Amino acid sequence: MLTGLSLRIRVFLFFVALALGILIALGVGLGLGYRRLADPGSLSAFVQSGIVAGFITLGLVAWVWFLFDANVAKPIDILSGALRARAHSDVTSEMDVAMARYLGDLAPAATAAAHRLAETRGALALSVMRETQRLSEEKTRLETLLSDVPVGVLLCSSDHTLAFYNSQASDLLATGTAPGLDRKLFDYLRAGPVRHAHDRLIATGDPDAATDLLCTTIAGARVLSARMRLTHGARGSASGYVLTLRDVTADLSTHARREALLSEVFDRLRRPAANLSTLLAVIPEGQAGPGPLDGALREEVSALALAVNELSRRHEEAGQDGWQLVQTRASDLAEGLKARLETGGVRLKVTTSDLLLRCNGFEIISLLDGIALHLGRDSGAADLSLRIEEEDSGAMIRLCWAGKPLSIRDLDHWLDEPLDRLVPEIACQSVLISHGTELWPEPQAEGRQSVCLPIRQARRATARPKPVIRTVVYDFDLLSRARADKVAETALDGLTYVVFDTETTGLLPQQGDEIVQLAAVRIVNGRRVEGEVFDTLVNPRRSIPLSSTEVHGITEAMVADAPEVDEVLRRFHKFAEGAVLIAHNAPFDMQFLRRREARLGLAFDHAVLDTVLLSAVVYGQHETHSLDALTHRLGITIPEADRHTAIGDTVATADAFLKLMPVLQGRGLKTFGNVLSEVRKHGRLLKDLN
Amino acid sequence: MAETKRKHRVLVVEDENNIALALEFLMTRDGYEHTRIADGAEAMDSIRNLRPDLVLLDVMLPGASGYEICQSVRLDPTLANVKILMMTARGSAIERRKGLVVGADGFITKPFEVKELREEVRRLLEMAPDLGK
Repeated sequence: MLTGLSLRIRVFLFFVALALGILIALGVGLGLGYRRLADPGSLSAFVQSGIVAGFITLGLVAWVWFLFDANVAKPIDILSGALRARAHSDVTSEMDVAMARYLGDLAPAATAAAHRLAETRGALALSVMRETQRLSEEKTRLETLLSDVPVGVLLCSSDHTLAFYNSQASDLLATGTAPGLDRKLFDYLRAGPVRHAHDRLIATGDPDAATDLLCTTIAGARVLSARMRLTHGARGSASGYVLTLRDVTADLSTHARREALLSEVFDRLRRPAANLSTLLAVIPEGQAGPGPLDGALREEVSALALAVNELSRRHEEAGQDGWQLVQTRASDLAEGLKARLETGGVRLKVTTSDLLLRCNGFEIISLLDGIALHLGRDSGAADLSLRIEEEDSGAMIRLCWAGKPLSIRDLDHWLDEPLDRLVPEIACQSVLISHGTELWPEPQAEGRQSVCLPIRQARRATARPKPVIRTVVYDFDLLSRARADKVAETALDGLTYVVFDTETTGLLPQQGDEIVQLAAVRIVNGRRVEGEVFDTLVNPRRSIPLSSTEVHGITEAMVADAPEVDEVLRRFHKFAEGAVLIAHNAPFDMQFLRRREARLGLAFDHAVLDTVLLSAVVYGQHETHSLDALTHRLGITIPEADRHTAIGDTVATADAFLKLMPVLQGRGLKTFGNVLSEVRKHGRLLKDLN
Repeated sequence: MAETKRKHRVLVVEDENNIALALEFLMTRDGYEHTRIADGAEAMDSIRNLRPDLVLLDVMLPGASGYEICQSVRLDPTLANVKILMMTARGSAIERRKGLVVGADGFITKPFEVKELREEVRRLLEMAPDLGK
């Protein structure tokens, strides 16, 4: 029965029993002596000496207990905690031997055991490392490959949970918040077509079958063309799938516009054409039509002419000839041409504006290359230069030279030649047609000549957007994980966690203190997902006291343009959907979240874990449980610059949790429910939030 | 005055017979002297011989393109007084620009309103130096 109690309490109870025993023995001895003496006068002397002896005994026992507790029981407790940490986690820092100096050889022996463990681990780790490194190199190659393919790639488990996506997929799906691993695909794509395609593929029974589908994003209603292929589960059971995505919204709307224009063309041309032929049919051949018929004829003809002109103008405005062309950097075009010409020994000087031209770069370079070679060979042109400048809504490419003017006759002959000797059926002229443009000679200043090639659409190259993490994000274990419904019965490492931290204007939310910064990271399958970070400043709509700014370094100016609390909490709620929340000293942070629930119409009813309490479970209540102390014990360093920033503390808390997790599991606390009931024993330390 | 003034001469270079017929009819009605040729290759010889005040020049021609003819006229200083009005059935902004760069004085898109064509012809001929003196 006593084994359930902690070592220190058991030791304490032994000493209490000892003290009681001695007191009873003393009482019984003195009682016997008094009876033998049978002198009522000596009673007070017996009582007095009994009390004195009793107090001395109690004092001695208490003193010995204190020494025993401080030098034996407590060090054993700490030592066992330290050993646990080393047994289940890769803590390598030295153990504190000094506090256990009265335990004889126990502390040195424990240290030796810990060292030996570390060495064995080291040897094992080394051999594992080589293999791991090889695997990780392969993985990196795969990641690089997948992050650069121009289509979105994502991998889902059979229950449509995201297990992998590359950045293109994230761009296509996200529109706002980044998609998260372990999220339902249907948070981002409409379910219908995806489910149908999945069922269709499973029904075929052909493991190599693929199917094409069109799906629509939830946000922004973008239409994506997708191809789905099943992946094979290890046990050949329910199959997940790979989805490759391409945005066809623009293609479709272009197509729709062309179709609409085409049907309007037929509609507006058919009627006047039909009317004209009817009108002419009723007029006898060789004669003028009578007045009204003549008027009708003229009316129809002018309607026809008007329609043709207007429709062709609209066709041109739509710029549809260029719909299959891509954005090409002006400098890339110029440098490409320069390189091509240099191989033929022709030098070219280039001047370009920072423009993106909508064109087929290969075709344009080949075209200009051919012309430049002809110019040098046939017209004796020298001192070639290329200029690409913005002009109207497009750009003008000018190939200039010193020498004779170029005749259109020669130019037209050159344009009839094939673009590439190897593909004789494609003439240079077709490049002009596919780009909906023309090419002409034009004299320039200072006796120089030029060939002008307008490009219909171009835009100024703007500064590249802030680089996002262009990596793929994945966790293939999601595909195989047995997913339990109830959090309490879920294995500790089977849960998704969102670790978060807030910086605030002060410590008293009930007196109007507010969040000024909120950061969070996600832990999926026992790994912190690098790309899934929530980190934002918050405008608290109140002043930030100087004393708080000194702690977290956030000033009122910094949050002036930041989103407000409600918006940030809404986004955070989405980010933390379905996850267990973890914070260091969670009750403090949770207060700031929960008091907004009514106003937001959202409930932060997530399961909550507190690393303060977890630290108490692992290290005992007598240790300090500040984040600094905890991370120090676990060998985690927070860079000084990151301390007391929400994201720095969040990452430290997450890493601490990841190191505590195996320790908890080693104690037999395998499920979330086990941990929770253990944590509740330490509830006195903090109010448990679950 | 009117009798002493020489009639304006117009050369129509157009390979489509029907539109050429209409243009000739229009030129006659407006009192211009006119000649029509259908082949682009003959155009330069005709222009040099006839010295027209205005050439109505189609872009798509057999033999030589309208642009080519236009450029050749502009390269011959003795033909400086010849006005050129180009006609095309496509007529995008880029084609119009190319036409004006190679030396056309006007550019008109088929199908055109007769009124529009007559105004353009009159405008170009009024710009021409008065040859009747």
